[in-house]
Amino acid sequence: MSKRVSISPRATPPWTVRVVVPTASLIAAAVVGGLMIVMAGNDAFEAYRTVFDSSFNGLRPLTRTMTLATPLILTGLAAAIAFRMKIWNIGAEGQLYMGAVAASGLALTIPPDIPKPLMIVVIILGGAAAGAVWAGLAAIPKAYFNTDEVITTLMLNFVALSFMNYLIFGSTSLWKNPKSAFPQGLLIPGSATMPRISYRLHYGIFIAVGAAVLLWWVFRRTTYGFEVRTVSDSKEASRYAGIGVNSKLISVLTLSGALAGIAGAIEISGVVKRLDPTVLASELGYTGIVVAAVARFNCLGVIPVAVLLAGLVVSGSSLQRLGIPPEIVFLLQGLIFLFVAAGEFFIANKVTITSTVPVQPDASGGLADE
Amino acid sequence: MNDTVLILSVVSAISAGTPILFAALGEIMTERSGVMNLGVDGMMLIGAVTGFWVGVETESAVLALLAGGLAGTLLSLIHAVLAISLRVNQVISGLALVIVGNGLSAFWGNIGGTAADNSADQALVQTKNGVSIDPILPEVLQELPVVGPIVFGHDLVIYFSWALVGAAGYLLYRTQFGLSLRAVGEDPGAADAAGLSVSRFRYVFTLVGGFGAGLGGAYLAVGVIGTWAAGLTAGAGWIAVALVILSGWRPWAALLAAYAFGALRSLGFTLQIAGIEVASDFLAMIPFVATYLVVIVVSANPARARKIASPASLGQPYSREAR
Repeated sequence: MSKRVSISPRATPPWTVRVVVPTASLIAAAVVGGLMIVMAGNDAFEAYRTVFDSSFNGLRPLTRTMTLATPLILTGLAAAIAFRMKIWNIGAEGQLYMGAVAASGLALTIPPDIPKPLMIVVIILGGAAAGAVWAGLAAIPKAYFNTDEVITTLMLNFVALSFMNYLIFGSTSLWKNPKSAFPQGLLIPGSATMPRISYRLHYGIFIAVGAAVLLWWVFRRTTYGFEVRTVSDSKEASRYAGIGVNSKLISVLTLSGALAGIAGAIEISGVVKRLDPTVLASELGYTGIVVAAVARFNCLGVIPVAVLLAGLVVSGSSLQRLGIPPEIVFLLQGLIFLFVAAGEFFIANKVTITSTVPVQPDASGGLADE
Repeated sequence: MNDTVLILSVVSAISAGTPILFAALGEIMTERSGVMNLGVDGMMLIGAVTGFWVGVETESAVLALLAGGLAGTLLSLIHAVLAISLRVNQVISGLALVIVGNGLSAFWGNIGGTAADNSADQALVQTKNGVSIDPILPEVLQELPVVGPIVFGHDLVIYFSWALVGAAGYLLYRTQFGLSLRAVGEDPGAADAAGLSVSRFRYVFTLVGGFGAGLGGAYLAVGVIGTWAAGLTAGAGWIAVALVILSGWRPWAALLAAYAFGALRSLGFTLQIAGIEVASDFLAMIPFVATYLVVIVVSANPARARKIASPASLGQPYSREAR
C-alpha cells in the first residue's frame, strides 16, 4: 500500500473552504505559539486566557482593543488595496509617521479657536496628504521606471522614522515642547482632539469602519474599482482596453499611503495627542500587512481581523506580568501570517490523499505528483 | 581628513559591510535559482540571536557563526516549503518570514536573558564571555602602511567572505553546475526538460541563502556590534535585498556595494573621528536615502536594464502541470 497525493486547482473555492482553512491556520498558529510559551517555561492555557481577559472580556478591555483596532483597520486597508493589485506597499509604517507629523504640525499651527469639527477634518486631510505624498515617492518611480516598490517603500520607512525622531530628539522644532526638561512633543490644543465614546475609545473607529465599507463598495461596484481589478489581472489586456495602467498604479499606491497617513493623524488626534516617536513607532504599519493578509485582502474582512490582532497586541503587557516576554505578541502575529499564507495553497488547490496498491514496485513512495 | 582617518574609515566600512555581504551573497544564490526570499532581515535576526547565545555558552566564535548560519537555514526552510512546494506568493511568504524572524528572535532573546540591561557586561568581543575574533595574519604584514590595516588587518571571517565571493562567482560562471543553476532561474521549463530537478535546485539554494543571512546576522552580533538587542539588524537585511538588485546578481559587484553601504553605515564613526558634527538622526537616514536613490537610478537606466536583468523566472513558482 502506498499513499498517493493528488493536487488539483479549484476554479472557485467554496465558501466553506474559505472559512475553514483560515480558521485552521489560526488554530495552528495558536498551537505553535502555545508550544513556544511552554518551551519558555510558562502555562500556555493561562497565557491564552490572559489574552482573552485583557482584550475582550468586559467593556474596558474591549474599548482598549477597539482603540488599537482603529489604526490597524486603516493600515490593514492600506495594505489590502495595494496588495490586491500586486503593488507591494510595505511602507504604511513610514506613511503613518508622516501622517502623524503633518497632523500634529497642523494642529499646532492652525489657530486653536476654530470649530472642533473643522479642525479635526483639516488635520485628518493633512495626514492623508502627507501619507499620499510619502507613498508617491515610491509610486512615481514605480510607474515610470518600474522601480521595485518593495525596496523604495521600505527604505522610506526608515527615513520617516529618523525624520520624526529628529523633530523631537534632534532639534528644537515646532513639534517640540520648549518648556520640558527632556525631549518631548508639544501637546496639541483641545480643539484638535477627537471626542471620546467610552474610556479611551474615540470616534476615530467610525472613520476606520466607514473607510472599510466605502473602499469595499468602490472596489466592488464602481468603474474605477473594475478598472483596477482589470489592471491587476493583466496589464497587457488593460492597455489594450484603453485603461491607464500608470494612473491606476499611482492612484492606488497614493490612496494606500493616504489611508496610512489618516491612521497616523487619528492616532495623534485620538490617542497620543502629541508627536511622540516612541509611542507611534509600534509597528502599526507592519501589523497592517498581517491584518490584510489574514483578511485575504478583502476590505470588509479587514475589520474583524484588525480587532482580533489588536486584542492580541493589547494583551502584551498583561502577558509580561505572567513572566512571558511581551514579544510573544509579535511572534504570534508572525505565526498567524505564516500559517495563513500556507493556507492559501489549500484554498486554491484540492488536495486528496488516496491509498493505492502499487502496480510496479518502483512506483511506490511519496509525492508522486511533484 | 588625514590619512589615518581615511584608513580607519575604510576598515570600519569593511567591517560594517561584511554582514550585509554574507546576506546579499546568499540572496544572490537564492534568486539565481528563481526564488525571491524577502525574509533576509528575519533570517539575519534569528542568526544574530542564535549566534550570540551560542557564543556566550560555548565561547567559540566558529560555533557561534555556524549556529547562526544554521538558524537562518532553518528559517529559510519555511520559505522553501511555502514558496516552492505550496507555491505561495513569494513576496507574502518572505514578509511573513521577516515578521516571524523578528518576533522569534525578540522573544527568545528576551527569555535567554541575553538582552540584559547591562550591555557592557554582555559584549562578547571585549569581555570574559570571550568570543574574540582577532586579526590572523602576522603582525609584520599588519603594520605595513596603508595596506596593513586595509588588506592584512582583518579577522578570518572577512577573508572567508572574500573567498566566498570568489567561490560564488566561479560556481555561477565557470562550472556546469552554475550553468544549471542559472538555467533553473531563467527558464525552469527548459531546465526541467533537460532533466534538472527544478525544485531540488530551488530548495538547496533557498537554504544556501538562509545560511548566508544567518551567518551575516551572527557576525553582526558577535563580530561587529558585540551584543544582542531586539531588532539588532536595523534594516540591514533589507539593504542586503536592495544590494542584490544593485549588484545585478553578481557576487563581486555585491562585495563593492556592501562595502560602499558599510561606509555609509559607519559614516557617523568616520565623521566623529574627523571632528565633523552632523545630527545623528540624519546620519541614521543616509544609508536608506542612498539605497532609495540608487535603486531608482539603476532602474531608470534602460541600457543597464537590458544588460543586467533579474533571473527571468524570479518570484514565479514552477509547476510542471502548468507548463
